[in-house]
Amino acid sequence: MTPAIRVEHLTRRFGAFTAVRDVSFHVEKGEIFGYLGANGAGKSTTIRMLCGLLAPSEGDAVVAGHRVSREPEAIKWRIGYMSQKFSLYRDLGARENLEFYGGAYGLGGRRLRRRIAEVVELTDLAEVRDVPTGELPGGIRQRVALANAILHEPEIVFLDEPTAGVDPVSRRAFWRLIRHMAEAGTTVFVTTHYMDEAEYCARIGLMVAGRLAALDTPAALKRRHAPGTTWHVEAPAILRHLAALRRLPGVVEATAFGRGAHVRVAEGAPTGEAELRAALAAAGVPPTLVEPVAPTLEDVFLAVASADEQAAGTAAAWEDPA
Amino acid sequence: MRRLLVQLRAVVVKEARQTVRDRRMLFMLLVAPVFQLVMLGYAVNLDVDHVPTVVVDQDRTPTSREHLRGLLADGTLEETARADGVAEANRLLDAGEASVAVVIPRGFTRDLARGEPAPVQVLLDGSDPNRSNIAGAAASQYFQGAALDVVRGRLERLSAAMGRRVSFGTIDARPRIFYNPRLDSAIFMVPGVAVLVLILATTVVTAMGIAREREVGTLEQVLVTPISPGVLMAGKALPFVAVGLIDVTTALTVSAWVFDLPIRGSLAFLGVATLFYLMTTLGVGLFISTVSETQQQAFMGGVFFILPAILLSGIFTPISSMPAWMRALTWLNPVRYYIEILRAVLLKAAGPADLALQTGALFAYGLAIIGLASLRFRKRLR
Ligand SMILES: Nc1ncnc2c1ncn2[C@@H]1O[C@H](COP(=O)(O)OP(=O)(O)OP(=O)(O)O)[C@@H](O)[C@H]1O
Ligand SMILES: [Mg+2]
Repeated sequence: MTPAIRVEHLTRRFGAFTAVRDVSFHVEKGEIFGYLGANGAGKSTTIRMLCGLLAPSEGDAVVAGHRVSREPEAIKWRIGYMSQKFSLYRDLGARENLEFYGGAYGLGGRRLRRRIAEVVELTDLAEVRDVPTGELPGGIRQRVALANAILHEPEIVFLDEPTAGVDPVSRRAFWRLIRHMAEAGTTVFVTTHYMDEAEYCARIGLMVAGRLAALDTPAALKRRHAPGTTWHVEAPAILRHLAALRRLPGVVEATAFGRGAHVRVAEGAPTGEAELRAALAAAGVPPTLVEPVAPTLEDVFLAVASADEQAAGTAAAWEDPA
Repeated sequence: MRRLLVQLRAVVVKEARQTVRDRRMLFMLLVAPVFQLVMLGYAVNLDVDHVPTVVVDQDRTPTSREHLRGLLADGTLEETARADGVAEANRLLDAGEASVAVVIPRGFTRDLARGEPAPVQVLLDGSDPNRSNIAGAAASQYFQGAALDVVRGRLERLSAAMGRRVSFGTIDARPRIFYNPRLDSAIFMVPGVAVLVLILATTVVTAMGIAREREVGTLEQVLVTPISPGVLMAGKALPFVAVGLIDVTTALTVSAWVFDLPIRGSLAFLGVATLFYLMTTLGVGLFISTVSETQQQAFMGGVFFILPAILLSGIFTPISSMPAWMRALTWLNPVRYYIEILRAVLLKAAGPADLALQTGALFAYGLAIIGLASLRFRKRLR
């Protein structure tokens, strides 16, 4: 089966700055593909290139069977796009926005009315469909944008941080919709800052400073990038004592996590619950909680990002003749 | 094809909805032009009358009084002050309390009776040349006529005394003015003002339209749809064509009512010509918006086009009195063609046959500029 998206050495520069550097990957049809990375990592830039909005500086991508460099307009008929910043008309209601965009995709008459009714129902917008979108709260507004992105039944939808600023309950509802769409055969390319959401993705690409640093299923990523045991530790002012924990034998990483910290210990190292408790007690902050946890994607992300930084650091040292 | 129509309709409906919802915009488009028309129509009234005049009658005879009455009779000059001497009259001119001083010196009647030249002094404030020209012409015209009457009276008395008719021939040139017999400048200027108001309402508003979408980010979502630039441009222009037609109709109605503007030609033809003219002003607006990143740039671009377009249109300065190179430039100016059509249709009842060149030029210009805007419009971000 040909993939829905095939990205080949995609690069985008803005002046002297390279926002996306030599990125290659595939996304299968009907897959939920997560695109993760810190602010400025190049996620939106990649999506814009895949939607035909930005021309690549180098490399190319095939989206829904067409090359972004040569046939961006052909791609546009077959994809849906929800931009990171809400970009529907704020002075128009959801229904009016949908009527305009439906028309722009060539939908008219009965067919358009039927589709609008369907997406309004799906995204639960019936009550607010005539309120100017500028007056809606952020969460509802994001649902309008999603309804708009899937109105013309695209093969692929690109969702750029669809749940940013959305409350947890609505986020879960949002992801139910996304999974529902994927089950119906739509390919979903989604970026997010929320690592818990990333768990819903079939595969994840991790962007670090414009490069694709890792790509795999969430489980495989955890196995590869967060091996050993991960401990969740809570103690008063623990952030000030991470250094003490890092000095213990076999501790690969000790980073803030929620209200406490995650400490990852290499396979077979002599550091366990007792040693962690002792170290903190010695530092004058007896821990309130020490328990083993499954590594999260956050752990993976931190591991990959720091490894990448080191790699980039060495590379820079190599390149710099001084 | 059907698909294109569906897309076009969607853009038109969306633009219309946004415009109708925007109170300030509606005011700018529909109400402000009428105000501007009436205000500018009065402001550019070039007729000169009631020029304040200071009268110095040092002769103080029935004859001098009769001449002063005659001079002021047609209303071009209006007596606003009286002075005893030339020095005082000068002071009033300096102070701006009068623009003209007429001095009839002592001995005026006596000189006339003796058959000697009787001088009359007319002093003019030349700071507004048009006004002082007209005031000066009015004064010399009156006194020339008066001088002729004096000569004629003398001849008659002479012939009576000699018992034989003595006469002389005079040349009597009387220009007859067509189309605007009262030489009412409002009738000439108001179509010009209508054009000016129309270009402000259409070019600047469309120029800023797409730039605003670019600035607030809504353009990104539009660019990711498969809509073609041509359809987008046409859809954005069409609602404003309607606005422009409404504006022209109100402008003509109001002008007919307030300024007695005659409407002699075919309104249907005028409608078609207006449509073509709107294609050019809207097209220029769209073109400007495709080369502007921000609303401010678009606004400046609009002004940059409108200023020369107005100056080189013949609205305020006759094209025939421009230097040759400027006259050549006016052929590139759509406003020039439309103002010619408008004046000719309204005042001379000219029809399509008389104005084929102007109408054709507007149509070609409109198509070209909208085409150019569509070509310039990139469906990519930068
Ligand atoms: N049009 C542009 N001109 C110049 N630089 C740009 C442009 N667009 C993006 N960049 C830069 O490219 C980098 C990547 O931006 P991008 O928006 O792709 O990041 P992102 O991963 O989506 O980040 P975020 O999580 O903040 O949305 C940033 O440093 C950004 O400042
Ligand atoms: Mg982004």
